[in-house]
Amino acid sequence: MLVESLQLPKDVCMGALRVNMTGNTEVWIENYKGILEYTGQTILLQGKTGQVCFEGNRLTIDYYTNEDMKISGCITCVRYL
Amino acid sequence: MIKFLKYLKGYVRIKVWGFSPERFMNLCSNKNILLWDIVKEGDVYYMSISLKAFYQLRPIVKKTGTKVVILKRYGLPFFVPVMLSRKVFVLGLLACITFWMWSSLFIWDIELSGNYQITDDVFMSFLKESDIKAGMLKNELDLVTLEKEIRRYFPEVTWTSAKLDGTKLQIDIKENDAPIITASVEEEGGRDLVANYDGTITSMIVRTGVPTVSIGDTVENGTILVEGKIPIYNEDATVREYQYVAADADIYMEHMISYEDKLPFDYIQKDYTGRTKTRYFIRFGNNELKIESGTPFLVYDCIIKEYKPALFEKLSIPVFWGSYTYREYMNVEYVYSLEQARQILEEKISEFETSLEEKGVQIIEKDVKMDSGGGNWIVSGEFSIIEQIGLNKDTVVEEILDTGENEADE
Repeated sequence: MLVESLQLPKDVCMGALRVNMTGNTEVWIENYKGILEYTGQTILLQGKTGQVCFEGNRLTIDYYTNEDMKISGCITCVRYL
Repeated sequence: MIKFLKYLKGYVRIKVWGFSPERFMNLCSNKNILLWDIVKEGDVYYMSISLKAFYQLRPIVKKTGTKVVILKRYGLPFFVPVMLSRKVFVLGLLACITFWMWSSLFIWDIELSGNYQITDDVFMSFLKESDIKAGMLKNELDLVTLEKEIRRYFPEVTWTSAKLDGTKLQIDIKENDAPIITASVEEEGGRDLVANYDGTITSMIVRTGVPTVSIGDTVENGTILVEGKIPIYNEDATVREYQYVAADADIYMEHMISYEDKLPFDYIQKDYTGRTKTRYFIRFGNNELKIESGTPFLVYDCIIKEYKPALFEKLSIPVFWGSYTYREYMNVEYVYSLEQARQILEEKISEFETSLEEKGVQIIEKDVKMDSGGGNWIVSGEFSIIEQIGLNKDTVVEEILDTGENEADE
């Protein structure tokens, strides 16, 4: 593939989600389109190619812009749909 | 830093609920509106939004069918109008700041250090004369002139440093350790060196003058030891004239001095009963505020401890607090035993001996006896000592009668 042979970052070229987790308490996410669902137990994000769902307890969004966002709380599960 | 900027620009905590709050958030992010601290409780979302962005919310709210309510306002844009409406408070704050700034223009305390010979009182009266006092304006004080003035007024001061530390004037001085040598005045006429004790001369070194005694001579008090007139002879061995000088010599004499000391049989000592009482006070300047007044015991002594609160150390506000500790005692009469008396008197004698030795006196012999009489222990004795002697006395000017004759011969 062109992207692989040129060693280009996939998140830029293919619009893949970037998820950066620190332990199970903090997550930084980039390259998303928006929030589909937000409750204290689940956060469902719409990416360009798919969706990702964070499950856990007492989930809060520390900040939310169109570039990136930060979620903190006790995360128990990350699922790609 | 970011928090401070947010505070400066102002932000609000809002409550969002309604048809689709998620869409509300997505639209916000699309419009580059930052949301933070988003928390969901039940059906309601709480979040923070900057004040500027809050005014752009109206179309979003309409589009998403949500409701927004402000819960709390944070930041300077909200704080300033509140402050402006509280005029008296702001005025007071300003007045307070002005007062602090104004009062820091003055000197409130003067501290002196490094003085040993010059007492604080003498120095303070000097400062008073030069119009330097606590409460004067800092501008009126010229530190360089003050330093010069101190050195001029006190010749023994070799180094001075005056500096301002906050509202405190700190003066550091160094005194000359060596004695000040004053130029000896050339005197008219000669001076003799005269014995001031009866005794035997043990050593003599004459620098100026004519010695009239020699080593081993026994002299009486008042005898001239070195004469201050040097005879100049004619060819025929008669005295032509006298040159008058100040006699100068190191003469050591062995002589006796007597010593006597008394110690009464009984003495009074404070016997503390062990009962103490502490009372606290606060002092403003000279006004003392005691928590309890009156004296608790009939016979007592008192220890006063006084502290300055650490807060006022730099500010020099005369506020002190401390305690009086009263200790009851009884005057009890005791009698010295022979052993105690002997010990005390021996200590006194040895003190006397050290004081002699400090003066450069050499003790040759001592003969001390202890006795009692008249309700006292009496110690008496004689010390045979060698010490430097000599008193200056004006030389008697002698007229030379045959001068006229000599001149006539020529």
